[in-house]
Amino acid sequence: MKKRGYGIANMWYGIGNTANHNPSGAFVDILDDGTAIVLTGCADIGQGSTTVLAQIAAETLGINIEDVVVVAADTEVTPDAGATSASRQTYVSGNAVRLAAKNAREQVLAKASEELNIQAERLSIYQGQIWVGDNPSGVMIKEIITQCRSEGVLTLGHGSFDPVTTKLDSETGQGIPYATYAFATQVAEVEVDTETGIVEVKKIVAAHDVGKAINPQNVEGQIEGGCSMGIGYALLEEVVVKDGEIQGPGMSTYLIPTAMDVSEVYPIIIEEYEASGPYGAKGVGEPALVPTAAAIANAVADALGIRMYELPLTPERIIATIKRK
Amino acid sequence: MAEFHLEMKVNGKPIVLDVDPGLRLLDVLRDILHLTGTKEGCGEGECGACSVILNGKLVDSCLVLAPQANGQEVITIEGIAQNGELDSLQKAFLEAGAVQCGYCTPGMILAAKVLLDHNSTPSRLEISKSISGNICRCTGYTKIIQAVEIAASRIATKEGADHA
Repeated sequence: MKKRGYGIANMWYGIGNTANHNPSGAFVDILDDGTAIVLTGCADIGQGSTTVLAQIAAETLGINIEDVVVVAADTEVTPDAGATSASRQTYVSGNAVRLAAKNAREQVLAKASEELNIQAERLSIYQGQIWVGDNPSGVMIKEIITQCRSEGVLTLGHGSFDPVTTKLDSETGQGIPYATYAFATQVAEVEVDTETGIVEVKKIVAAHDVGKAINPQNVEGQIEGGCSMGIGYALLEEVVVKDGEIQGPGMSTYLIPTAMDVSEVYPIIIEEYEASGPYGAKGVGEPALVPTAAAIANAVADALGIRMYELPLTPERIIATIKRK
Repeated sequence: MAEFHLEMKVNGKPIVLDVDPGLRLLDVLRDILHLTGTKEGCGEGECGACSVILNGKLVDSCLVLAPQANGQEVITIEGIAQNGELDSLQKAFLEAGAVQCGYCTPGMILAAKVLLDHNSTPSRLEISKSISGNICRCTGYTKIIQAVEIAASRIATKEGADHA
């Protein structure tokens, strides 16, 4: 018989390393033609940080994203930006790039202020042009940079950011382990075959508070990918170690979800502005995976009326649990 | 061991090589022809990262010995753009955000291409089945399936226009 069940799970997750310094640095160089190079140690392993950092630099500098080149994760030329881990790169390296771009922008605006004889506070840059209040000045940043160069002035900005944390008290465990947190709720719908023990995840609705979603499509991709990993964690994946040897060392023996194993995923992005984040952003990498297995296990418990305490929920375990009952 | 005289067509171009007969098609493509768009993942035919099209069928190039490709026609990811213009599937993958780390992408696109070459109006389930031999750890497949749907609808629209 096929039984349907629904489960819900909530999570909160700290962004950045736990109760420890984890700074990122960045350089932003505005070139003679008004384009910019961003140097960051942030490694993009597919989550899209290079795109997000280009967006942050472009937004801060007031130039088009097509005019930003990001040189990332090259220890020969880029400043340290820590590990791509702890769901920290958008928040920590994003802030470093924002501050470096702000620093470069201030240099351009200082020169523009001299040239236009207008206070720098009244000036801004938008689409490569200097603006005075709400009006375009007609002067492109390229012209200001040319002026800088003729005077031997570079427009090179630097920035760094380290999340504000404290050590935890060794007696009480109290302190500030993280500067900010991501929050999420996921709901899973499953169908359990009581004869075969096979669990099919039909649907996952995943609501994630990410601060500002700098690139909503990337955020969705992270949530969908996290849910897929969570399905694997809940139903398929088990690292078995025997006498110090991993028993499933290959993809034929350690199964991860294929396109036939994943469910429909409905990401819901909640944008709760985080004051300390770059343009309000936090992180989403690991949070996307954290509640999924719990939601699925709760859904299986709802379907069967039996709670299981060991993952993955393999057909063998499901059948054994049903029989025991 | 005596070298094997291999003649095949790769991305429309005739290739003539003398190779170690123990080489896999994957090794010939990557190490000799420098077509590094084809990736090696598991090397045991489970992950699909090394997928190429051999005579119209999707194969894991890690499971094909070079001599087995003799006289055959191979298409790799480098061979599907036409005159510098990306294939509809490549465009759709970019548009849908279906590429994250990118390692599965060449195989995914070729798997989807074989599907669309035979069935230009696939259902969601048919798309999932056709890419189920290609493993992706990052995307959760959602945007990959959406990309294939986008490409299929573009091809259908284009075919409709061609017939009109």
